[in-house]
Amino acid sequence: MAKEKETKPMANTVIGSSIVIDGEISGEEPITILGTVKGKVAVAQGVVIEAGATVEADIEGQTVTVSGKVTGNVTAREKLELRPESKMVGNAKAPRIVVADGATFKGNVDMDV
Amino acid sequence: MADKETVIGVETRISGEIRGEEDLVVKGRVDGKIHLSHALTVEKGAIVQADVDVRNLVISGTLVGNIVASESVRLLATARVVGDLAAPRVIMDAGAAYRGRVDMGDIEAARAAVASRSAAQPVASSASSAKDRPAPPRVAPTPKIAAFAAKVAPRFVAPVASEKSAETAPAAPPAFPRVAGTAGSVAPAWAKKKIRRR
Repeated sequence: MAKEKETKPMANTVIGSSIVIDGEISGEEPITILGTVKGKVAVAQGVVIEAGATVEADIEGQTVTVSGKVTGNVTAREKLELRPESKMVGNAKAPRIVVADGATFKGNVDMDV
Repeated sequence: MADKETVIGVETRISGEIRGEEDLVVKGRVDGKIHLSHALTVEKGAIVQADVDVRNLVISGTLVGNIVASESVRLLATARVVGDLAAPRVIMDAGAAYRGRVDMGDIEAARAAVASRSAAQPVASSASSAKDRPAPPRVAPTPKIAAFAAKVAPRFVAPVASEKSAETAPAAPPAFPRVAGTAGSVAPAWAKKKIRRR
């Protein structure tokens, strides 16, 4: 199993770029979002929000990697990563948070200290 | 991973509405609504409890909800479907379980569309000759089978004998009654099986 977690995880669920989901996504497996999701995302594994994706939802996952645009509160049990081109508005809660140079972020940070 | 395909994995559940312009494969669970301009595939083991409006639909899993497909619906052998179904082309494989109403719309128009699509294929000749024949392009049932089918699945048989074919079909068998008002569930799967056994 390759460790290329960043942009191409072994996501079993992929929400394509032209897809709009209005509602709740839950599950036990990794998910990659390239499209638009409104509502709530709560999965037991990694969540990847790719460049071009728009998520207006509260997100909960093991690791959350954002390259696209997120509006909502993000809770990662392990790690939250905001990649260079990402935009995020909302509260971030995670034991480890990585904000790359170039990322846009507005909200509270809670690292559980 | 393919860029133009969306997959809802085995252990993922979505409740709400899904819209989009690309193919969608459901292996997990979706509750709500699905509206696509492309194809939807409900894989074996998947559960979809939603009203579905798509172009093409292929079902191997379980689907509960009303279906509208602008092109075709195919129920594979492992499919379990409950709900009304509206599509110009409906294909049910042996073994598929289905309960609901089927509406293939204007049969003539649908057949013309199918004929034009398959014009390049060798079946074109049979399609054009079918135009002269107003009855649906099915093998004319023998009176015995027709009577049996009418008994087993009255609602399923009724639309076949309805409208144009009833007025103009030259060889419409007499024992092909429209059993209107007879309450009974549609059971194409067993109807088919029993007929085959004879």
